[in-house]
Amino acid sequence: MTEQVSIALGQGSSCWGCFQSLIDIHLKLADVLPLLDIKYWQAVVDYKLSDLESYPDKSIAVGVYEGMARTEEDVHLLKTLRAKCKILIAFGTCSCFGGIPGMANFYDIEDCYDVKFRNNKTFSDGEVPSENVPPIESIVRPNRHYVDFDVYLPGCPPTSSLILTALTSLIEGKEIELPPHTVCHYCSREKKETPVPEILRPFKGNADPDRCLLEQGYICLGSATWGLCEGQCVNKGVTCRGCFGPPPPITQDHGAASISMLGSYAPLLPDELKEQVPDPIGYFWRFDYPSSHLGNMRIKREDAKNAK
Amino acid sequence: MPNDKVIRVDPVTRLEGHGALTIKLGSDGKVKDVQFNVGSTRFFEKFLEGRPMEEAPRITPRICGICPIPHHLASVKAVEAAWDVTPPPAAVKLRRLLIEAKQLSSHAIHFYALAAPDFVFGPFADPSVRNVAAVLKHLPDVAVQAIKLMEFGQELCRTVGAKAIHPTTAIPGGMLSPLKEDERDEWLKKVPEMLENINKTVELAKNVVNMYIDVVTKVAVTPTYYIGLVNDGKLDIYDGKVRVMDPDGKTVAEFEPKDYTNYYGEHIPGHSYATHIYYKPAGYPDGIWRANTLARCNVADEMATPLANEALKEMREVVGRPSHHTFAYHWARIIEMVQAAEWIKTLLEDPEIVSTDVKLSDVEPKAGNGVGIVEAPRGTLLHNYECDEKGIITKANLIVATNNNIAGIEKSLMDAARFVFEQKGHEKLKLPDPLVKT
Repeated sequence: MTEQVSIALGQGSSCWGCFQSLIDIHLKLADVLPLLDIKYWQAVVDYKLSDLESYPDKSIAVGVYEGMARTEEDVHLLKTLRAKCKILIAFGTCSCFGGIPGMANFYDIEDCYDVKFRNNKTFSDGEVPSENVPPIESIVRPNRHYVDFDVYLPGCPPTSSLILTALTSLIEGKEIELPPHTVCHYCSREKKETPVPEILRPFKGNADPDRCLLEQGYICLGSATWGLCEGQCVNKGVTCRGCFGPPPPITQDHGAASISMLGSYAPLLPDELKEQVPDPIGYFWRFDYPSSHLGNMRIKREDAKNAK
Repeated sequence: MPNDKVIRVDPVTRLEGHGALTIKLGSDGKVKDVQFNVGSTRFFEKFLEGRPMEEAPRITPRICGICPIPHHLASVKAVEAAWDVTPPPAAVKLRRLLIEAKQLSSHAIHFYALAAPDFVFGPFADPSVRNVAAVLKHLPDVAVQAIKLMEFGQELCRTVGAKAIHPTTAIPGGMLSPLKEDERDEWLKKVPEMLENINKTVELAKNVVNMYIDVVTKVAVTPTYYIGLVNDGKLDIYDGKVRVMDPDGKTVAEFEPKDYTNYYGEHIPGHSYATHIYYKPAGYPDGIWRANTLARCNVADEMATPLANEALKEMREVVGRPSHHTFAYHWARIIEMVQAAEWIKTLLEDPEIVSTDVKLSDVEPKAGNGVGIVEAPRGTLLHNYECDEKGIITKANLIVATNNNIAGIEKSLMDAARFVFEQKGHEKLKLPDPLVKT
C-alpha cells in the first residue's frame, strides 16, 4: 500500500457542496479514503479545532479550504490551514473568487443585518447576535487576500471527476493538468454566427434544443467561462451563469469578459441593452465579484470607510 | 460566579455547517445554560434583492450543498406563486422525482456517514476511529451498500437536474429539460438493486435501534411542537399544507403556505446566527417546534406509500405518536428513505414522466408576493419573495429547514446535559458491545 498522505479539510462560510461533490466520487472513495490520513475534517471526523492548531507548522501535506471568509473564525481557520499545510488548495468557486455569498458586497453590512436580524416578516426589533459567536467581517475579501494558495480548483461545485483527478495527482505527487477550454467546447449546440436580435429572459418561449442559447437571445456565459464542468447545464437546455469562473489565467475579470462577449454577439444600442439586461452585476459577477476589478473598488471603499 | 464551569465543544463535528456547543455548569453541579452557537451566516435574503426573480432558483441552492434541490424547488414554487403560474403536470412529476432522489441520498449520507459511526464503534470509541473512513475499513460491505444508495440518489438528481449539486433545470413554468426515454429505461434497470440496498438498510437500522433502545428511550426525550407538510393527511415532501402538532399530539394548525406569517414566529437569539423558529400562537419559548424526519412522521396521519406506512406503524408501536425521542429521528429517517424509494419506482414507471410537455412558453412576470414550501431532508423549507412589475425581487424572507430545529436542538441538548451532568444517567445506560471493537 502507498504511504498515506496527510490532509486537513476546512470549511469557511459555505454550503458544503464542494465536499458533497468529493463524496460523490462514489465507489472511488474506497480507493481514495484509505490513502488519506485525515487530520481535520469537522463534518466527517471528530477532531476539534484545537487538534488542528496543535500540529507543528508545515506538518500536514495537503490543506483544503472550502468557502469564503465571512467571519473572524473563518479567517483564523484559513490562516491556520496555511500555516500547518505544505500545499493549500482553494477548493471551489467561493474559495477561489468569493462565490455567490460574495454578492453580499453589493450592499452595506448594516443593510444585511437589517433583513437578517433586525426586521423581516417573521420578526421585528431584533439585535445582531454577539455572545459566543465570531464577529462578522464587514466585507467579503477574496481568500487570496489573506493567504497564498498553491492550487485553485474552481467550480460551484467542482465536478466529482475533477476532484478525483486532483486528489489522484496529489497522492501520486504529480502536477495537476487541466484542459483550458471554455464551456462552449463541451456544448453540443450549433453556432451559426448570427447576431442576437433581442435579449430574452430565461423563462421566455421555448428554446430550440439544437442551437446556441446565446444566439437565440438567452444570456449564456459559456464562452467566457472555464469549461471544467464539461457543459452539464448547457447540454440540458440551461444557460451558463459562469459558476467555474474565467478560463486560465483565472485572474482575468470574468464579468468584464462576459459583458464584452455579449457585446460581440448582440449588436444592440446601449440603451436597448440596458433595458433588456435587468441586472448586469448579478448576471456577470454572480460568482466572482469580490475578486473582480469592480469588487476590488468596493473593498477599497470599505477600507476607506473603516479607516475614518 | 467564579465557580461556574464552562464546557465548550468547538466545532460540533459530523455536522455540515458551523456549530459549537457551550454548556454552563454551576458550582452545585447543575446545568445552568446550554447554547448551540451557529457561527456563520451569508445574507442571502439581502443579496436576493435586486435580482430578477427567475434567477432565485439558480442562486438559493447555494444555501446548502446537501439540500440544494429543495432550495431550487421551494424557490421556483415561490416565483410561480407570485406570478400565478401553474407548471404542466409532467414537470411537477419530474420535480417530485428530483426531490425524492435527493431525499434518498441525503438520508443515506446522514445515516451512514454522520450517524452510524457512533453506533458501529460505540459512543466511547476513540475520536480517531469514529468516522466513515473507519466504517469503510472495518465494514466494507455496509459501506458499499451506503455508497451505492448515495450514488443512486445523487446520479438520478444529475439526470433530472443537470447537476446533482446546485441543480439548474427548474424554471418558472416548468422544467428546461424533459427526461429522455432511454434515460428513464436506464434508471428503471437500477431500481431493483436500489430497493435491495434499502431493505438491507432497514434491517441494519432495526438492529441498531434494538441494540440501543435504552439510549433511544432515555436520552434527550424532549417534548416540543412539530411541523411538517402533509398532503391529504399523508407525509409529502413536495406539496401540501403545513401541519403543526402540539406536544400532546393534537393538531393545532393546518394552513396554506401563503398564510405562514400567522403561524411562524422567529426569535433572534443573542448567541447564534441561526435564528429560532417557533409556533407563533404559543409564543417563545413555549412554542418551540422541531421539523425534520421525526416531526414529519409525527404530524402525518400515515405515509404515502405502502411499505413505508408499515414501517411507520412498527415505529409507532414502540415510541408512540407523537414521539419526542430525539434518537428516533434516525428511525424516522429510514422510514422516509423507504417512501422515497417507493416514490422513485412509481414515478419512473409512470409513462408521463417522459412527456415532453414540461414547460409553459407564455410566462410573464408581474408584481407579486409568493411563498413556496417543500420539505428539505432536515425540515420544512420556506421561500417568500416579493417583486415589482418587472419581476425584480424587492424583499425576501427565507425560513430554512435547520432553523426550525435550532431551538429544539438546544432544548434536547439541555435534557441530555442534565441527564449526563446532574443524573450521571449515561453511566447507567445499557449499551451493547460495539459492532466493531477498536
